[in-house]
Amino acid sequence: MSANRPASLGAAAARPIRQPVQLNWSRLTTIAVVLVAIGIVGTGAGIAVGDPRQVWLTWLVDLLFFVGIAQGGLIVSAGFYLTQGRWAGSTHYRLAESFWRFLPLGLVLFLGIVIGRNYIFPWIAHPVANKVKAQWLSAPFLLTRDFLALAWMTFVSWRFILISNTEEAVIWHHEPDTIEMPPVPVRRIAPLLAISYAIVWTLFAYDLISSLSPQWHSTLFGWWYFATVFWSAICTMSFTASRMRTLLPAGNMFTRGKVLHDLGKMIFAFSVFWMYLTFAQYIVIWYGDIPTETFFIIGRAWHHPWMLLTWLCPVLLWALPFSVLMGVKPKKTPAILGSVALLGMIGVWILHYILIVPSLFPDTLPLGWIELCVTAGFLGAFIFCAIPGLRQLAEVAVSDGLETSHEAPAPH
Amino acid sequence: MSGDIELIGVFSDDAQCAHAIEKLHHASIVEFHTFSPFPSEKMLEAVDEVREWGRSPVRKFVLAGGITGAITALVLTVGTSWEWNLNTGGRPIASITPYIVIIFEMMILFGVLGAVTSFFIKSGLPSFESATGYRTRFGADRFGLVVRTAESDSAKIEAMMREAGAEEVVREAA
Repeated sequence: MSANRPASLGAAAARPIRQPVQLNWSRLTTIAVVLVAIGIVGTGAGIAVGDPRQVWLTWLVDLLFFVGIAQGGLIVSAGFYLTQGRWAGSTHYRLAESFWRFLPLGLVLFLGIVIGRNYIFPWIAHPVANKVKAQWLSAPFLLTRDFLALAWMTFVSWRFILISNTEEAVIWHHEPDTIEMPPVPVRRIAPLLAISYAIVWTLFAYDLISSLSPQWHSTLFGWWYFATVFWSAICTMSFTASRMRTLLPAGNMFTRGKVLHDLGKMIFAFSVFWMYLTFAQYIVIWYGDIPTETFFIIGRAWHHPWMLLTWLCPVLLWALPFSVLMGVKPKKTPAILGSVALLGMIGVWILHYILIVPSLFPDTLPLGWIELCVTAGFLGAFIFCAIPGLRQLAEVAVSDGLETSHEAPAPH
Repeated sequence: MSGDIELIGVFSDDAQCAHAIEKLHHASIVEFHTFSPFPSEKMLEAVDEVREWGRSPVRKFVLAGGITGAITALVLTVGTSWEWNLNTGGRPIASITPYIVIIFEMMILFGVLGAVTSFFIKSGLPSFESATGYRTRFGADRFGLVVRTAESDSAKIEAMMREAGAEEVVREAA
């Protein structure tokens, strides 16, 4: 046990939790602001001189993708609490919670879906014949329930963050040798957050993605979708960890082999889980061979121009992580782990794109400056919102690294 | 070897036992065996350093078993489909999509059989003779390190064990 490691709860409470870390945050802020400016100009120009459908569909893709990462990170953190994962002090909790500030902004950006609803939802102009389904797919009802659901998630997430940052929780993070359960408030909020996530993101999957092809249905789609979002958060965490390892002072927590190794194991495991769910969904549709189910797959996987992008998804989300991260060393090597994680994030963005856009553009691939600008704007806003969380993460990673300085660092 | 004795070091902590193994290693004593009530990583690492076992050979048998299982399943499914030549719902006679499930399951089955079989073979199991120096407390709350040595070297080895933290060192005729 190192000298800095708390020997008791009292010692842990007295220990300084954070170390001041000097990084060039203003550069990242500038990049984020420039990206947001590009996004605002591109969105305006896209609506004025381009195809507004492209703008609002990309808006939906980006909203789900970035809110998904912010929300998925909190679910990972809740998962750490529920499984009593204390393998990296507070670092892996703060890493998972770094992006949560995008959630309130996501709530505001959801208004874009309200504004662009006539371009996004084909059933507004052409209501579905089934009366029950038509009632469910009513624009005011759908937009209100989804907004309220997102507001609920934002509220529970904010409460979760407050509880996760209490001294009581931080002390618990740093006591890996005890069999103490997490503090009582955490034990209450973490399951609530996880269950709410499963319900709300299932709702989003059906309302905001599959409803764009209102004839299509798959009972596994909601489950599959929130598992995908969860995985995208793990990839973002791993990419952030591999970058932080280089940027932070020597001896930070990410230089400990076990941290990157464990993140790599999570990417690997949930990648296999994603492929399992994908195949489980695919084979049922294949066996049934019902046109109202198969058209969604056939149009994307077997017809141009969508075929290539569609097959890129299982490569980036499963084949690549599975083959590259099978061994211990690639998981512990920041360049390899970071690259696989970044490609995984790109894969999840493409997956959102091919789930949403072909429903309105079955024969063309609208991928140009509009998509680029809108996505740049969302990326900038996401980075801007993540900066306070990343600053906190940097301080905690350095502080926790000092505590575990007796452990062997990972290979460069 | 006549005149040999067995020294049985009893440790209350696996780190101390691992430290004793390292001390023996530095003194070029590599003929020993250990007992632990659970798979202690510290002791396994220390023993691995001495023995230079490296990666377990079981993994090769798992890979071989997995490949054999996958090929067997592919041949079984496609072969029987071609043999019976049944048209099911207008799909191809040999439809790979549903066969992936069978291929996957047989790959796992053969891989597991390869792992279990090679584990028993490589571990020399089953063994019907109890290992020398075993005490029932090594299956409860103590860690054991047994060294067979000449009487003349026994004092030096006993000192090493005690320095590493052995709470007791028992001498037995080999």
